[in-house]
Amino acid sequence: MLERYVTALSTDDAGVETPAETRERLRDHFARGATRRMTQLGMLLGARLRTTAPTADDTLVYLSAYAETRALEGYLESFPTASPTLFQTSIHPSAVQQFMIGQHQPARQFFPLAGRDHGVAQALTVALLGDGPAVVCGGEERGTWLLEQNAASDRTFAFSFRLGVDPAGAVARVTLSPSPTDGYAPEACPLPDFFDALVARRQLAWNTPAGPRLVWQWLAP
Amino acid sequence: MFTRPIRVAACQAVTGFGPVEATLDGLLAGRTALRPHPVLGTDGGDAVPLALLPGRAYADTAPPAWIADLRALVATLPSGDWGTARRPVIVTSSNFGVGSMYAYRRFGDAAHLAYGTPAACVDWIARELGWGPNVTTFSHACVSAHLGLLHASRLLDAGLADAVLAFSFDFLSPFVVGGFHALKILNAHLPAPYAARDTGSIGLGDGAAWAVLTRDEGDFALSGQALYNEMHHFTANEPSGSGFAACLQTVHAAARGRRVWLKGHGTGTLEAGRLESQAFASLWPDAPLVSWKGGLGHTLGSCGLVELALAIAAIRRGRAPGTVGAAAPGFTAEVAFEPLDLSAHDAVVCASNAFGGAHAAFLLSHA
Repeated sequence: MLERYVTALSTDDAGVETPAETRERLRDHFARGATRRMTQLGMLLGARLRTTAPTADDTLVYLSAYAETRALEGYLESFPTASPTLFQTSIHPSAVQQFMIGQHQPARQFFPLAGRDHGVAQALTVALLGDGPAVVCGGEERGTWLLEQNAASDRTFAFSFRLGVDPAGAVARVTLSPSPTDGYAPEACPLPDFFDALVARRQLAWNTPAGPRLVWQWLAP
Repeated sequence: MFTRPIRVAACQAVTGFGPVEATLDGLLAGRTALRPHPVLGTDGGDAVPLALLPGRAYADTAPPAWIADLRALVATLPSGDWGTARRPVIVTSSNFGVGSMYAYRRFGDAAHLAYGTPAACVDWIARELGWGPNVTTFSHACVSAHLGLLHASRLLDAGLADAVLAFSFDFLSPFVVGGFHALKILNAHLPAPYAARDTGSIGLGDGAAWAVLTRDEGDFALSGQALYNEMHHFTANEPSGSGFAACLQTVHAAARGRRVWLKGHGTGTLEAGRLESQAFASLWPDAPLVSWKGGLGHTLGSCGLVELALAIAAIRRGRAPGTVGAAAPGFTAEVAFEPLDLSAHDAVVCASNAFGGAHAAFLLSHA
């Protein structure tokens, strides 16, 4: 069984907040003027990552199904004169890089994932198999015209937490262990559902597509 | 890093030249698959060097026509329950089906959107290729394939899988070609990796590949893998080259006592090429360094896996292609422009780089 403890959990449920509103609300988290060049998801994730403070030796794991939707929409709108800035900003995993580059904070191991139904299980598995402590983060930003076509997230949110072996000060315990039954049926845990469980402090337990069972158990009130 | 080296049981790839053997023939002959294509395809634009898969049109249909190329590629794959609990699939790409997003925006047909996001694209590919739900998706620009190899190795080392299918693909579209053209590193010139010249330029190529990794089957082994992310700048490296060194030092330790040759990233940009070649020369003086992107184009997120398959084919043949498309003087004396006789070598270091100052490398040798 793989086991880690969760510390420094930080969430931000921005709902249907506009990028301008997010920029105003979070501007104190960043250097003066920096948010002008950041996406909404970049600002949200950056503010959460500031609390978990990834170091160069942490395994950094990032999950987003849609990632930089607004930059993607803007880049597509820029044709036939493609925007170089929006191109580089639209590339996964730009949201995390916006913050890390702003901090000049290297990361030895950075695993950006793009899964949907099973993405959370896979991201946690990546973190649990890492060489040492991990910082896990994720989020989405609400789309505009891509949302009208069901090709973008309908809400904006972000989270980050640390995973380590030390239970001191932990708010939750995460385990990956063999399924209790012979047969297994993988269960979905989409990123928005996982985020809602983090905010509501709901217990989570589900069978991953790889077979083992993931359990997120809250420890602190 | 791992309790024992991870084996490559089988692999295959396809490039602008065709399958691996045809690709190796082309590169050894010093040929390039790059041809001039308008940036925006039928909508025109500047002509830039692209290496499309043989017979593939530079236009996105719904569903994307490149699924036929992936079907042909996996037809060579050992059969067996991929995507099930003990036989996971790891899919890596930089673009996935984002060309479909461009096609939707350009032509307005919502049918394209079924393939446009990474998750939708991978779900569709998994259905088409008959994979189960145990599919992990990484996307980290041009080091994506290396993440797949490293995570596959960890799954095997932890006993969470019996065999892992690492699968990577990237197909060109006006979306990505337009982006690199806008950055002005994709222009009318053919790439000349590691050549000391006045103007840098890259080419882009289609690429797809798979490798089956196991604990104990296969003639080749990955005995060292490393990642490093500078987080210095989106499109520039830390000017001292420290990011290249930080990544390669890990593999250098794993390669101690080996007589290595070096397959670098080498896209044809000047500053990154200079820093990369100097980092290699510093750690492995006198070891020959080659890049194959002057022939293949840069196959983006798939390049790490495509070039792994090519490196294995080269080792089997005893000859590795030189730095196609470039000529002396190189950034360092170690840059090899002509094909290498591999009889004096027993391992190769393969490296890739990406936006954000991301670096990845592995050591490949006979098991």
